[in-house]
Amino acid sequence: MESGQHMLRTGRRGTSFEFRMALNDLAASFHRRGLAWSLAWHDVVSRYRGSILGPFWITISMGLMVLGIGLLYGKLFGISVAEFMPHVAMGIVFFGLMSGTINEGCETFVHAASMLSQTALPMFTFVWRTVLRNLINLAHHAVIIVGVIVVFGLWREMSLLPAIGGLLLTVVNLAWISMLVAIASARFRDIPQFVMSVMQFAIFMTPVFWIADAFPDRHAFLTLNPFYHMLTTIRAPLLGQEADGLSYVILAIMAVLGWALTFSVFAITRRRIVHFL
Amino acid sequence: MTDVSIQVTDLTLRFPVYGVDAKSLKKNLARVTVGGRLGASQTGATEVTALSHLNLNLRAGDRLGLIGHNGSGKTTLLRTLSGAYEPDEGQIEVRGRIAALLDLSLGLDPSATGVDNIRLRGRIAGMSSREIEEKMDEIAEFSGLGPFLAMPMKTYSAGMQARLAFAVATAVEADVLLMDEWISVGDADFQKLAHRRLLNLVERAGILVLSSHDAGLLRLYCNKVMRLDGGVASEVKDIRRLDELLAAA
Repeated sequence: MESGQHMLRTGRRGTSFEFRMALNDLAASFHRRGLAWSLAWHDVVSRYRGSILGPFWITISMGLMVLGIGLLYGKLFGISVAEFMPHVAMGIVFFGLMSGTINEGCETFVHAASMLSQTALPMFTFVWRTVLRNLINLAHHAVIIVGVIVVFGLWREMSLLPAIGGLLLTVVNLAWISMLVAIASARFRDIPQFVMSVMQFAIFMTPVFWIADAFPDRHAFLTLNPFYHMLTTIRAPLLGQEADGLSYVILAIMAVLGWALTFSVFAITRRRIVHFL
Repeated sequence: MTDVSIQVTDLTLRFPVYGVDAKSLKKNLARVTVGGRLGASQTGATEVTALSHLNLNLRAGDRLGLIGHNGSGKTTLLRTLSGAYEPDEGQIEVRGRIAALLDLSLGLDPSATGVDNIRLRGRIAGMSSREIEEKMDEIAEFSGLGPFLAMPMKTYSAGMQARLAFAVATAVEADVLLMDEWISVGDADFQKLAHRRLLNLVERAGILVLSSHDAGLLRLYCNKVMRLDGGVASEVKDIRRLDELLAAA
């Protein structure tokens, strides 16, 4: 229906119709997935234009943080560097993916205001743009992960498949959170500040810089923290440990419920979003 | 090409105006405590009717000029035709590939090079990477920017930027061309070139909708004309009756 050859916009209302239009938008964004990729790639390139190391600057600053915290906290907590460094390295890198996707989600529609108000581009395209941009960044930071895996010989006991599964579940969840805050931020300009505070709080509440061993298994502090599940399903397998099956289940349920919620909100607000901006 | 058409039926478009205050969450939360007392204004938004019960039928070969005062709804109509806005009532149906040339700077990044901007803008306009590479030489040549295309766009003069933007924007293959007044860009030489390219584009496109304050321009490009007044449209008339419509104010 939205083939680029035929465009229909109507004032017709009704819940089922709004959902169908929202689905059309989603389908159109897949149809033009190359555009989301081009925009994301352009974002990364243009942010670091003129710098020689480009996105690797963030990688370097992350690497420094990993090194510093790994050595210092390891000493403070009395944990061996070989155990603590990979833990912190993966924690920082993967939490960076989470906070990046969610924080930048706040700007997804706000930044695209001029494009949204004069073209028929699918709105989902801009959501994918934010997600893809953060995945491109992650690909740069993967150097750190590969580094610790090689240096500390983790490749001997790590299992890649569950980690990739965890990463996929995490990205699917991040995508809906990112879209939900994108819609909310377009309407209410307090949301980005709020989201930033939450993410700052979350980094300390999630075992990024500390090890969860201090807690008994399935302590409420961990079980109720969605970021813990995201992090542990990616990190534990890479560290040669086994993530609690419950975490995968929780992430899967969260993905389904979260997308149902976000998609409903989108269907209801879709025709208004461009006016929010 | 023959089934290119624009069909607008009873189109009404309202803009909710969310005041700066209304965008704050506090106001919205505060309202909850007040309960339903606010009645009609509970949505928190004042609405401006930008287009009201507008009907329009265009077929291949129609070149419609839009006239009207500032704020009469010309640009809103163009944007609605491009698919950016959802109507509040009525419906719009457009058959054919739409090219909306409303804002020359759309999607251009000042810090990117000319070539990168051509690619980016082309992607946004719906061209595939291959299409863009095929047209790259032609666009580059038309822009006349030569070696400057490898430099960041922010180093260009305003005229050079306009040349680049114009060259990319008009490289699209379109059946339906929507234009807001911006025809005259660059120096005299370039204007002549631009004019020829536009005529060419208009000839290839099935339908043109052009908003302008310039009567001469409208006579040059259009064969029909419509006047908007506060979002209410006049009948579509033959371009020869332009003076009549202009005088109707």
